[in-house]
Amino acid sequence: MATLPRLNIPLHVKYIQSLGENKDDLVYHLTAHLRMNAIYWGLTALCVMDHKDALNRDEMIEFVMSCWDEEAGGFGAHPDHDPHILPTLSAIQILTIQGARDRINVPKVTNFILSLQQPSGVFAGDVFGEIDTRFLFCAVLALSLLGQLDQLDVEKTVSYIRRCRNFDGGFGAVIGAESHAAQVFVCVGALAVLDRLDEIDQERLAFWLAERQLPNGGLNGRPEKLEDVCYSFWVLSALSILKKVSWIDADKLIEFIISAEDPEGGGIADRPGDQPDVFHTQFGVAGLSILGYPGLLDLDPVYCMPASVIESLGLRKDWEALPRRVA
Amino acid sequence: MHGVQRVRYSREVLEARKQREQAKLKEYLALTEEVLAKKKSGELNREAFDLTTRVLRLNPEFYTVWNYRRNILLHGIFPSSSPSEINDLLSDDLSMTIAFLKQHPKVYWIWNHRRWCLENVPDCPTDGDPHAWRQANWNKELFVVEKMLDADARNFLAWNYRRYVLASMTLPRSEESELAYTTRKIEANFSNFSAWHQRSKVLTSLWESGNLDPVKSREQEFDLVKNAMYTDPADQSVWIYHAWLIGRGDDAGLLRREIDAIQELLDEQPDSKWCMESLVRYKRLLLQNHTSILEEKERSELREECLRLLSQLKEYDPQRRRRYDELEESVRNT
Ligand SMILES: [Zn+2]
Repeated sequence: MATLPRLNIPLHVKYIQSLGENKDDLVYHLTAHLRMNAIYWGLTALCVMDHKDALNRDEMIEFVMSCWDEEAGGFGAHPDHDPHILPTLSAIQILTIQGARDRINVPKVTNFILSLQQPSGVFAGDVFGEIDTRFLFCAVLALSLLGQLDQLDVEKTVSYIRRCRNFDGGFGAVIGAESHAAQVFVCVGALAVLDRLDEIDQERLAFWLAERQLPNGGLNGRPEKLEDVCYSFWVLSALSILKKVSWIDADKLIEFIISAEDPEGGGIADRPGDQPDVFHTQFGVAGLSILGYPGLLDLDPVYCMPASVIESLGLRKDWEALPRRVA
Repeated sequence: MHGVQRVRYSREVLEARKQREQAKLKEYLALTEEVLAKKKSGELNREAFDLTTRVLRLNPEFYTVWNYRRNILLHGIFPSSSPSEINDLLSDDLSMTIAFLKQHPKVYWIWNHRRWCLENVPDCPTDGDPHAWRQANWNKELFVVEKMLDADARNFLAWNYRRYVLASMTLPRSEESELAYTTRKIEANFSNFSAWHQRSKVLTSLWESGNLDPVKSREQEFDLVKNAMYTDPADQSVWIYHAWLIGRGDDAGLLRREIDAIQELLDEQPDSKWCMESLVRYKRLLLQNHTSILEEKERSELREECLRLLSQLKEYDPQRRRRYDELEESVRNT
């Protein structure tokens, strides 16, 4: 086998560490509404690169708790920002990875999440009611991590996902919407957590997912669109749940992801030559882990968290990544 | 961040830019602090409303400020406004967010705010029809989303939003006109899978309601898709749609006819992966669903052809060879 390109782990660790030091950058403040997600992305990437301690644990936990909204029972993305299901899931994921679940008011946050379920079975993101299968996934994942899945009306939840399934085997954001790799990831992930993979036309979907790979090795999110590093994770997560990661060319995808890294400043971008960010860094590294890239730790593709954490909670589902290679 | 090129600047250039940015940064932080303080203290007046406008102009992704703005309207301004004033306020917000969308066509929060505005348009008190304002707004909205799709025909947020608008209109538009819209989009660009997808949804609904004869209309669809297949056989949108038309493959005659048509195209374009892929798919459907009407000789011929096509596919499309291996396995076992 040809030698694989090298992932510059120390540089990416430094890049993630440096993200909190840009406080005199306008962009840092313009993205405050994504802070909680960004910390989760950074932490997960660090865990996969086996540098979990590169960010200070206590400071991180204190930040997360400073975003807790006691009245609503959810987390905002930043102190004084409104609670929303996206940062709420990220907060639960961070606290779980850091072994600080005892800080969570489980009954309250469970109520908050359940209150967002709509009569159709889908979840809203917050009280203003935008609906999306992404939010349904967040709810299912959060309840599972908190050990509260028995409180969920599973049939109602699954029936909404079923109505989002398209003839190409994929899933959309809402009923009637076009299949999209990110929505496939959330719907397949939710079905995996709920042990309902029988809802999927597995051969059709795995075919559609395999066709996301373009000649340059990168993956796109929909037919006839451009490749992007973040799809590496979404497509691979679904493929590993269907146990079909081998249906794409792993070496070519590894090459593509690593070619999108910033060789000087660290971090990974959406595609080669672009500006890196923590979102693509995390999804690039996550994709590499599923592809068995040497030297990385296993990532659970359903929860997008370190596999060891999910295993210790007894939540591991029956997925299959590529075997870890030796360098 | 998507599609932002990485540029290396010298330390001096970066420093100079940072200096220039400082004024902007200070202004933004002051505004943010002020708006969040007002929100915390429960201010729901016009001054706070105008402040949210200034913040959102700088950062339309600040969802907390969108929420605050809606709460100001709902609980601070609407209670003391006439229906016509409320309608004007919402119209202003709809105009403002159009300007935002031109710059940020994929920011969810902007689309959400438009939905909220449209859903809060009051009954029209003067006109005979209480829905008059709403209907005028929905019509305008359809026009807006069409403009967005003219700019980017694959923007899936815009497509989702379009379906939402169509479903919300007080005077629904006919599904035939939506079908015509997808025809226009497809004819402008065959590889617009978003339009093919929408077409499959509209047709399903028209067939189920009995407003369109499924047999005749399906034949027209085969003509349309064949035309597209010949134009660009490498375009997967078209082949995915073709597979939808075939469905589960219950009609052996249809399968045979389409197999022949695709074979003809493959003879002209001998390296077309999608021709080979589709032939394997439809031949396997024949084998799986219609084995009882096939003679043993035909069965073994179909199997042989599938295996031959699969080994060719491995050559033309090595990235996915493991899938073709598995398909070979499954053909051998049918
Ligand atoms: Zn991306």
